[in-house]
Amino acid sequence: MTAAALARSFAVGGAARPLASAVLGIAVALGTAALLVLLSGRNPVVAYLALLGGAVGTPDRVAVALNKATPYLLTGAGVALCFRARIVNIGAEGQIALGGLAATWLALRLPQAPAVVLPVLCALAGAGAGAVWGGLAALVRLKRRVHEVLVTLLLNFVGVLIVGEVLHGELGEPGAGFPQSPLLPAAGWLPRLVRGTDLHVGILVAVAAVVACHLVLWRTPFGFRLRVLGASEGAARYAGIGAARATLSVMMLAGALAGVAGAIEVLGVHYRLIEGFSQGFGFAAVSIALIGGLSPLGVLPAGLFFGFLESGALAMQRAVGVPTPLVSVIQGLTMIFVLAAMALSAARARV
Amino acid sequence: MLAMRGIVKSYGAVRANRGIDLDVPAGAIVGLLGENGSGKTTLMNVLYGLVRPDAGSATFRGRPLPLGSPRAALAAGIGMIHQHFMLVPAMSVTENVMLGWRAAGSWLRAAAIAERIVQASRAYGLELDPGAVVGMLPLGLQQRVEILKAVLRGADLLILDEPTSSLSPPEVTALLAVLRRLRDEGRSVIFISHKLGEVLEVCDEVVVLRDGEVAGRRAVAGASREDLARLMVGRDLPPPVERASRAPGAEILVVADLHACDAAGVERLRGVSFSVRAGEIFAIAGVDGNGQAELAEVVGGVAPPTRGSVFVDGAEIVGGVATRLAAGVAHVPADRASVGLVRDMTIADNVVLRDVDRPPFCRRGWLDRDAAREAARRGIEAFDIRAEGVDVPVRTLSGGNQQKVILARELGRGPRVLLAVQPTRGLDPGATRFVIDRVRALRDGGAAILYVSTELEEILGVADRLAVMHAGRLVGVMRPADADLTRLGLMMAGALEEPPDAAALYGVLA
Repeated sequence: MTAAALARSFAVGGAARPLASAVLGIAVALGTAALLVLLSGRNPVVAYLALLGGAVGTPDRVAVALNKATPYLLTGAGVALCFRARIVNIGAEGQIALGGLAATWLALRLPQAPAVVLPVLCALAGAGAGAVWGGLAALVRLKRRVHEVLVTLLLNFVGVLIVGEVLHGELGEPGAGFPQSPLLPAAGWLPRLVRGTDLHVGILVAVAAVVACHLVLWRTPFGFRLRVLGASEGAARYAGIGAARATLSVMMLAGALAGVAGAIEVLGVHYRLIEGFSQGFGFAAVSIALIGGLSPLGVLPAGLFFGFLESGALAMQRAVGVPTPLVSVIQGLTMIFVLAAMALSAARARV
Repeated sequence: MLAMRGIVKSYGAVRANRGIDLDVPAGAIVGLLGENGSGKTTLMNVLYGLVRPDAGSATFRGRPLPLGSPRAALAAGIGMIHQHFMLVPAMSVTENVMLGWRAAGSWLRAAAIAERIVQASRAYGLELDPGAVVGMLPLGLQQRVEILKAVLRGADLLILDEPTSSLSPPEVTALLAVLRRLRDEGRSVIFISHKLGEVLEVCDEVVVLRDGEVAGRRAVAGASREDLARLMVGRDLPPPVERASRAPGAEILVVADLHACDAAGVERLRGVSFSVRAGEIFAIAGVDGNGQAELAEVVGGVAPPTRGSVFVDGAEIVGGVATRLAAGVAHVPADRASVGLVRDMTIADNVVLRDVDRPPFCRRGWLDRDAAREAARRGIEAFDIRAEGVDVPVRTLSGGNQQKVILARELGRGPRVLLAVQPTRGLDPGATRFVIDRVRALRDGGAAILYVSTELEEILGVADRLAVMHAGRLVGVMRPADADLTRLGLMMAGALEEPPDAAALYGVLA
């Protein structure tokens, strides 16, 4: 089942059906992964308890999980909007990279800027860079008629390589021995949300963005146009909806959200630009948007789930010796089973 | 050949079939008549195995037929030709025939199959080229590919669901001839239709369904149109309201030398000029595919013209759909399922589909969903739409009710101009009458109406002035009173051209 076909199945707003499918899919995924743990000769119950402890055991772990969920929520919400309009945008990875780059560049340029202003400016710079990258993909799609899957996918590599190139040159930290930028001025760091933990304000930005995307999709004429465009091209034309304008807008919007996610990673987690700092967030965002039923509000539990899963992974490895990549397996299985459950329930609803 | 007994099927509270008996003798064409929602499609889906009935049984050729399994139906020799064809447009006729056909063997023997296609095509007068790409064929020929598929797979009973709804008159004639040949060979046909004329012409026997029950059976030999129509709707249809002709009003819609190409770059409109006056229905007759659809799209702003202009109330309208809406042009498109409506969106969403940018549905940048629901509620009331509330997806509505949703939206705006393209296609007589009455009421209120249809009877009934379109041009303009069927038929077939003078085009017929 293609993403476009999925977009079709979710053109109706109902939330209960995707939710039930998601819960079922997660349960089956955890069950299947438990079999793998069992096969490797370890006790899955112990492993999952360690995972749970690692995810929510202490405030520190929760803080890590929420920090990890932040880029997922931001990019997932944007990707969900694109998919709703039946635009298969898998370019978030490159947009994150360039968002981080723009934020870093600005922060290093303005070392004297005051503490509250600088993060805001840097986040805006990240949003701008992401929007440009998303808009560029949309333009190639519209003007040259290259399918957006190809354009967005390939621009990811370009974006990531630009970051590497810059870190090996102009923005690189002299003598670091690793492609990374110098430490950013402390004024640019994101404020902590809870004293004594790593939790930064990014999660608030992410949740606000998710809610904003929900409102945009369901409560504005722009969102209405996206939904019509995704449901029926013929009807969109008849309704006078300009596909080009809507495509450009939603790609730029999704790009801006991914760019902010990149900026937040830099300003809130690493305090510097590091090569490969986006560890596949942009691709995970596609899974999260799909698991979330292509609804921004659905992205919220899906993104948090991925965040907590990753936060727990290290603890599981330490306690039981189950390697952390198992978490990637669980994420992959979750996507497969949730999508299968949704497709089944959509098929049943149609008959 | 086929005997169905006591078929019962309910969807929730809706009882679609309430104990239907149906008999189809061998070598007979049985018409299945009924309004939308009378249970025809459900009954046929039960027979073909797509829907499992709550109760009832069937025997086919003396043997019990398990209901609820398409495979069993196929194996028994039942073939169904759906309203929307199940063909792969990019593949050739031969490939489509082979597709999913076990008996064609594990190896693709295209030449052998092509030979069989040629033979069968000759035997039934299908005139199919096995090498032709299906997507390039006109709808009438695509339908024949479906028929051929069923026949080659050994179907002794063919079910045709509304087979003529998208065909032009000559294609219909050809289809009916094919069906007669199949019957003469001993096969049986179930012919689902709304069109009394066709049913009387081709069927041997008619079964009329109403509200999920058999309302009556008639041998065609002794049946009359009036009788069948009464059985279908359960009442006498009132005769259409006629009105005295009156002086033409002011010119509202003026179209000047319009040219347009389709997506493939083929010129479909080749210089069309006319005007429609206030309080006038200007109807355009013609065989499907002669530029009527393009005309409505260009006037409606959906597609750009390559040359020419459109004026409303004397002002030229340049631009897309938004400018037409602003000028008061309403548009009921030909394809209501995929253009006029978004099937998966709610009634409320569809009622505001073309107006979400404007108050009252948009206030300070936000959608006012209560306003949309309120408008939908008014539409449901005013247009007698049968629906469980305003928040159900329109795909759950019957065809007639879907069309009413479009009318509620387009007429709800109080338009100056209405473009109505095939607004009654696929509707039952009750819904057809309803649609036409609404269009007439709008005309009587002073709007200018451009009415496109391929049904001559409908054109003659509704038009104040009519034109025939052929190959992208108007080849004749006349008043319905002066029209005779031979002349119109010749014009539609492109065999007669009476270049209209300015007076006829601009609405001052003597």
